[in-house]
Amino acid sequence: MSLNNGQTLTSGQDSTRNGSNSNRAPWEGVRAGLKPSTPTRKPESPKPENAITIAVSSRVLFSMEKEQQIFERQGMEDYIKYQVEHETQPLSPGPAFSFVKALEAVNTQLRELYPESEELFDVVLMTNNHANVGLRLINTINHHQLFIERFCMTGGNSPIGYLKAYHTNLYLSADPIKVREALEEGIAAATMFTQEKMTEVSETQLRVAFDGDAVLFSDESERIYKTHGRDKFFEHEKAHENKPLDHGPLKCFLEALGKLQKKFYNKGQRTDCPIRTYLVTARSAASSGTRALKTLRSWGLEINEALFLAGAPKGPVLEKIRPHIFFDDHMFHVEGAAELGTVACHVPYGIAQTVSKKGIKDKDTSQAPK
Amino acid sequence: MVSTIQNTDVKQKDADLAVVVAVTTRAVFESADDDGGDVYGVGVAFPLLQALHKVNERLLEESPAESLLFDVILITTDDEQQQQCSRITGSTRHYGLEVSRFCFSSQEDFTESLLKNNVQLFLTTDRNEALRASQNGVLSALLDQQLASCPSEQLRVMISGDAVLRPDTDPVPAGQKGAQSFSTQLGQMRQKFGIFNSPLSIVLVTLHGGRESCGDALRTLRSRGVSVDEAHCLAGAPRGPILSVLRSHFLLCDVVSCLEE
Repeated sequence: MSLNNGQTLTSGQDSTRNGSNSNRAPWEGVRAGLKPSTPTRKPESPKPENAITIAVSSRVLFSMEKEQQIFERQGMEDYIKYQVEHETQPLSPGPAFSFVKALEAVNTQLRELYPESEELFDVVLMTNNHANVGLRLINTINHHQLFIERFCMTGGNSPIGYLKAYHTNLYLSADPIKVREALEEGIAAATMFTQEKMTEVSETQLRVAFDGDAVLFSDESERIYKTHGRDKFFEHEKAHENKPLDHGPLKCFLEALGKLQKKFYNKGQRTDCPIRTYLVTARSAASSGTRALKTLRSWGLEINEALFLAGAPKGPVLEKIRPHIFFDDHMFHVEGAAELGTVACHVPYGIAQTVSKKGIKDKDTSQAPK
Repeated sequence: MVSTIQNTDVKQKDADLAVVVAVTTRAVFESADDDGGDVYGVGVAFPLLQALHKVNERLLEESPAESLLFDVILITTDDEQQQQCSRITGSTRHYGLEVSRFCFSSQEDFTESLLKNNVQLFLTTDRNEALRASQNGVLSALLDQQLASCPSEQLRVMISGDAVLRPDTDPVPAGQKGAQSFSTQLGQMRQKFGIFNSPLSIVLVTLHGGRESCGDALRTLRSRGVSVDEAHCLAGAPRGPILSVLRSHFLLCDVVSCLEE
């Protein structure tokens, strides 16, 4: 089931690309001792205010399990020593890796269609790591041929200020505390976990799946469900069917994706658009789902596929969709998805984060809002 | 005419081993709301001086006989300030600043004073002064108004990754020797402290270049014995927002033209 609200939003100004000269420092002619620029012309990084900036921490971009263990058991000095000793040994991909690769694939296609535009994804490495670990991270980025030119290695200082400075549209980290802080500052963020199983995903089409309540939408309906129970929830949703839900922490990110999608649609690429979005919600198509769809429509947002599970587990459905990333506010769903190989991340937002009451989860009859 | 007065309240540093940092009195003392009293108001460079002092304190804690310390001198760079001798020394004493010497010079001859006093780093809020000193072979850095809100418990030095010259650059331009040796000394100081809770933080910032430039800079600095705490690569992103989060006291560049930007 797909939504088409029939509205065409303006795709925003396409600013002219920065000429390579304007970024050169005055002394560049004097740098006799520096390496000559590489022969293949790398594209310039877009200005943060024009781009869709995705900030990722080193632990979600790459797999650093062993290193993390050393840090936890032996402390910082040994951890750094280990990293420096293994500097030329590239790290393996982490949970966010395929997502970042897909972002780059979309960029390549956007550049082909709109060579002058800066409306692109920009991936920034945002890590707490000490700069001593920097060379290993740079070597790893080189090895995997990722296009990451911006980073902040904060040496232990909070990343929040930098996230804001980069107009970050989405922040992914393994540290739930930082993720919460970011959410509190109004930055879309989610916690990623190491997963044993990561199913193969498309290399040409970016697929992003979202839960509804407390992710795209606020947690207002969930609150009603938790405080007053299932029946009251249905009554409420039916009564307020035409009243849009308030927005949730990931709404703006969906909006940003939609903006890029329209750029492809404008060039005739609708059915084979390199970006595809999904709503995967425990709401039911027959009843509570209507309010969700109407809310999206009122926001002028499209979602390509909406799946109303009426409380059924999300894992199997996600396994079929194969998104690069799935956002949910319930750890239960995150874990369920991850078990079947979907890269799932947790949005620590809303009422689900408080200790949940037992007993409401009756599988046969439940129509949980999540 | 230049004259130098020692501050007898403060123990003099080792002439050979200390790192001489000269700061203009205009940066240290506020003369805007001047009521003509005996003591100046606090200027933008106050947190900087406190941070330099903090580094010295901690260095001496680690090793009471330490000679690799910051040797801070105040220098006047205009005729008007040159006349304010007792007010400057009085204010310094009033605030208990760890300043070992006062150099009274005018606009024409302050660079002479810098050279005479073996100054390894000249800090000023005036871009022209910084350029002039640089052109005379003295490593200089510009202090800006943001400095007033920088921390006083930790000295945060930014090194420009775009302008770190590789070790095999031959020959090393005259002005650049100063930058290299200063960063090497910073590196030596930094090594005396552990990863955490250091009074000195070295921050590498690559404003224009991307990760290759940053990687090169990290390697080059490492070869000089400089261990960097933080590394930020902007690849052309607007610097204002990032720099205001970084809150560093000043930016070190190997190349003079940094000041012209």
